[in-house]
Amino acid sequence: MKILCVLLPHFSLCCEILRRPSFAEQPVLVTYTTDSKKLVLDYSPELDGLQQDMPLQHALSRYNNVSLISADIPYYRSTFTKLLDALEGISPLIEGDESRNIFISLEGLQLIFPDYRTIMNAVLDIIPNIFKPQIGLACNKLLAYLAALSCPQGGYRILTDNTAAFLKDLPCDVLPISIKSRQRLRDFGLYTLSQLSALPPGPLLSQFGMEGKKLYNLARGRDDTPLIPRIMTRAINGNAALPSVTTSLEVILAELESLLAKVFINISRLGLGIYRVDIWTRSWSAAHWERTIRFKEPVIDIKSVTKRIKRLLEDYPQQGPVEHVGFRITRLGYPRGRQGNLLPKVRAQDQLMEDIRQLELRLGNPQVYKAQEMEPWSRIPERRYILVNTNR
Amino acid sequence: MVKNTRKALHTGKYKSINNPVPVLVKEDKAGFPIKIGLPEGHVVTAIEDHWRIDDEWWRSKPVSRIYYDVHLDSGQQMMLYRDLITGRWYRQLY
Repeated sequence: MKILCVLLPHFSLCCEILRRPSFAEQPVLVTYTTDSKKLVLDYSPELDGLQQDMPLQHALSRYNNVSLISADIPYYRSTFTKLLDALEGISPLIEGDESRNIFISLEGLQLIFPDYRTIMNAVLDIIPNIFKPQIGLACNKLLAYLAALSCPQGGYRILTDNTAAFLKDLPCDVLPISIKSRQRLRDFGLYTLSQLSALPPGPLLSQFGMEGKKLYNLARGRDDTPLIPRIMTRAINGNAALPSVTTSLEVILAELESLLAKVFINISRLGLGIYRVDIWTRSWSAAHWERTIRFKEPVIDIKSVTKRIKRLLEDYPQQGPVEHVGFRITRLGYPRGRQGNLLPKVRAQDQLMEDIRQLELRLGNPQVYKAQEMEPWSRIPERRYILVNTNR
Repeated sequence: MVKNTRKALHTGKYKSINNPVPVLVKEDKAGFPIKIGLPEGHVVTAIEDHWRIDDEWWRSKPVSRIYYDVHLDSGQQMMLYRDLITGRWYRQLY
C-alpha cells in the first residue's frame, strides 16, 4: 500500500496571508493564549530560532519589530477542512491529524493516476501555492512523513527503494515517540537512526519496554500504524457578534441560547439530539477561548445544553471582554426513548410553547418574543433589554 | 483604537428594545432643541435636564450622545438625544 503525506508548514500563518496578503511581506507572529499565558502558534519563516508554543515574551526578546496576530482557530480549522474536502477528490481515504499533517491512501488509484508524478501534480494543483506543501510518498505513514519532511517546500519526494540509505543520517528526534524516550535515547548517546538500527531488539526492549520494540521497527522504516480515514460528520455551525463587548456571562449565555434555539427547532423535527458541541468565544483583544461539551445520551432539549454551558462559562473564565460567540455541533444522534411528562402544570407550559410554534409555522417569522435582560446597567438604553424568540 | 478583528458582524440575531426613533428638531445657536417635529411640530417650553454619554470610544463606531429631557407646549414630556457623531436627533426613553 502506498501512502502520501502532505505537510503544511506554517499553516496558521498561511491562512492569515490568504486573508490578508500584506502579511507575506512583513515579519509576523501568530499568538494564542492558554491559562493567561501568551504563546507563539506560528511565525514568519525568516524569523530564525523561534518555535511553536514558545512564550511570546521570549519570541519578542529576539524580534521586537514584528506584527502580532491573534490566532483565529475556527478559521484555521475550516480552511483545513476545506483542504481535506478538496483532496477527497483524489482519494476517499484521507486522514488529517491535529498537527495539520495529511495522509492519503493511494490504494486502488492506479487506473485513475497511471504514475506517481500525476498524483503529485494533482495534489499540488488542489492545494493553494501559498501553503507551499511538502509531499512525500512511501509505503507507510512514517516513511511518507519523513520523505515529505526532507523535500523542499512546494515540492515532493517519492521514496520507493533504498530506505536504509535514506534513514541512516536522520536524527532520532524525527521518530513519533514519547518525549521521555527521546530524552533517554540522547542519554544513551543515540542521535541518528543508523545508530539506533544497529542495535538488536533485546537491549531496546529491556531499556524502553514495549516502546523499545516500536523503536526497533521505526528505526528500520517499519511502521504498521494504520491510516484512519476521517469520517464525514455533519457539522452545524453558528456564530454571532455581540452588540457590544461584554464580560457578563448572562449576555454570552443569552446569545448562545438564542443561536442554539434555532438549531433545536430544526433537529427536533428530525427527532435528533446533540452528542457533542464545541463552544467558542473571541474577546475584543482577539483571544480565542474554546471548550467542548460531550453528552452521554443525545440531548433533545435546550435547557440541558444551556445548563452545561453556564457551568462551563463559570468554571473556565474568559480571557477578556467578549465580542463574538459561536458553537459547532459535530455529533448528532437519535435518543433511545423518552418518558412523557405526566405533570399537567408543566405540560401547560409545553402546550403554550407548542401553540406559539404552531402560530409561527402558520404565519412565518417569529411572532412572540420574550423580553430578557442583556446589560441592564448599560448607559446606552437600547442595550439594556432584548427580545428573544420564545420558541425554544 | 482597537484593531479590527476582521469578522463580519451578525447582530440581527435578536431584537433590541427601546431603539432610537429619528425626529426632526430645530436647534438654537447653542445647539439646544427649540422645536420638535417639523414643519408644524411642538415648541420646547423647558429643558428639565441634559447629560452627555460617551461610550465604546475604543470601537470603530463610538457612541457619543447628549440627552435632553424636554417639556413641549402640548404638555408632553419627551426624551431626546443628539448623536454627536452624525449630528442627527432621535427620540428615546432613557
